[in-house]
Amino acid sequence: MISTERLTKRYGANHALRDLTLEVRPGEVFGLLGPNGSGKTTTIRLLLGMIKPTSGKASVAGRDCWKESLAVRERVSYLPGELRLYGHMTGYAFLKFLSDLRGGASIDRAAAIADRVLKVELTRKIRTFSTGMKQKLALSQAFADPVDILILDEPTSALDPSARDVVLDLVKAARADRQTVVFSGHVLPEVEAVADRVAIMRKGRLMHLEDMHERRSNLRLVLVRFAGLEAVPRDYPEHLELAPRDLNGEVALLEHRGSPVELFAWLADQRVVDVAIGTDDLKSLYDRFHGPNVTDDEFEDQ
Amino acid sequence: MGVFFALVRKQLGETRWPLVVLAASLFAMSWLTVFVTCRMERRFKKETDVAAVMRNRAFLRGMGGGSMDYSSGSIELAFWNHPFLIIAIVIWPIGRASAAIAGEIERGTIDLVLSRPISRTTYLGSQIAVMLIGLLILALALVAGNLASTIYNPVEKPPGAFQLIDPLANLIALCLCCYGFTVFVSAIDIVRWRANLFGAFVTLASYVIHVVANIPSLENVKFLDHFSIFKAYDPVGAFAEGGPKLAFNVEILLAIAAVGIVASFVAFRYRDVPSNS
Repeated sequence: MISTERLTKRYGANHALRDLTLEVRPGEVFGLLGPNGSGKTTTIRLLLGMIKPTSGKASVAGRDCWKESLAVRERVSYLPGELRLYGHMTGYAFLKFLSDLRGGASIDRAAAIADRVLKVELTRKIRTFSTGMKQKLALSQAFADPVDILILDEPTSALDPSARDVVLDLVKAARADRQTVVFSGHVLPEVEAVADRVAIMRKGRLMHLEDMHERRSNLRLVLVRFAGLEAVPRDYPEHLELAPRDLNGEVALLEHRGSPVELFAWLADQRVVDVAIGTDDLKSLYDRFHGPNVTDDEFEDQ
Repeated sequence: MGVFFALVRKQLGETRWPLVVLAASLFAMSWLTVFVTCRMERRFKKETDVAAVMRNRAFLRGMGGGSMDYSSGSIELAFWNHPFLIIAIVIWPIGRASAAIAGEIERGTIDLVLSRPISRTTYLGSQIAVMLIGLLILALALVAGNLASTIYNPVEKPPGAFQLIDPLANLIALCLCCYGFTVFVSAIDIVRWRANLFGAFVTLASYVIHVVANIPSLENVKFLDHFSIFKAYDPVGAFAEGGPKLAFNVEILLAIAAVGIVASFVAFRYRDVPSNS
């Protein structure tokens, strides 16, 4: 549905995006993760044809995002991260205006989402709205548009927790309707809750692509306290698919992808004091690329 | 076309109050030109000696240039050279031009509009349409002010509405010219104030150059007038003579406008639209 091939955007000597190659499949929720300046918004703006790639190409449904931007935008609805609305309009007039820019068909649906689902007062002027209320209004229109693709740039950044849950439900509903959703954000649990796959970006580069279903079903974390330093194994049997993620004295954090029965059998043979088993969260993956101890040197060759 | 009209409607809604204020100002100024003309004519009638008549004519020439025919219409239109009136009307094209692209980028609203299926050409076209509608309203306000004031301030030979078309064409061409060079800066910039500053500076500098170059005692700087857009703006000449000179003036101003507008379409089509953050 969306594909980029060595997509690069440079401003002078500064690379805002470098050689991004990825594919977003139809009907999936694709998470874009990374701190400010990692290239998420640049990627989105390139997909919408707002900026021209320095090199490489991006396409949506087979249409070039720069050369056939109009055709691309017919199939895409977008929620900007830095939201600025027209203060002189009422909420309803704003939805009507945006709807008219797409033929006018989505106004009733947008008003219904805003009024009944997100509880926006549509008769008030936008200049009297809080930041969160403005975001809800723009989200209503994005979810109402009759399009194949939703691109949401930090859609929950100004929302209260209950509104966030509603938005995540709307994202799930969009996926159920076979819409493709690109969801950019900083709040990892939210992305984790809805994304089918996530891309982790750092300084304009794609660092890692993760299938969340595979991660949830296969990967477990095993925290083991061994009976002293000499009890900590130097090597792990290959068939167990066990790998150390972190070692701290006699405590080891292990990643395990294999059979749990074999794991328990192996643990029974070890001199173990305590064991805790859990699933991995996105934060640990994210921290591999953006953790407090991560330096640029580690990724220089990538 | 629905998309185009939705954009036009939105922009007119946003600018309606500035437009109303400008139209009211121009109506009042136009009223004032007839009022002053009426008072001047009454005073001139009282003076019978040749020296006074010559002095009065010299005064009128200073206001309106060499083509002054001393009719009521020419005296009224001489005030269309007044900086207050020119400022009041060129504010509109310069303001609309700077708001068209740079202004929308600066306040961040262009993202929402251009993320919809709207071509950049349609978007800029709608901005130009709104500017033209506003310009038409301001021109009508000028004519209405003149005609309404004539009822209360009778002048010797009041010009009819149709006689004001030629000078109005010259004034509208001047406004389009200002729009042309300002919208080009707007199309390549990301902040509104720079486009505003550029438009205002070029217009003001051009006006000052025109005034200085036409001071009779400064013959050696008369050539500077060729560098002023106001050389092609002569409402009194357009009223009194019309014809080829007016057509030439309008063509010059429209040519500058066309170059600016076409260049802005091209620049906007191929530029990056950055986020406002």
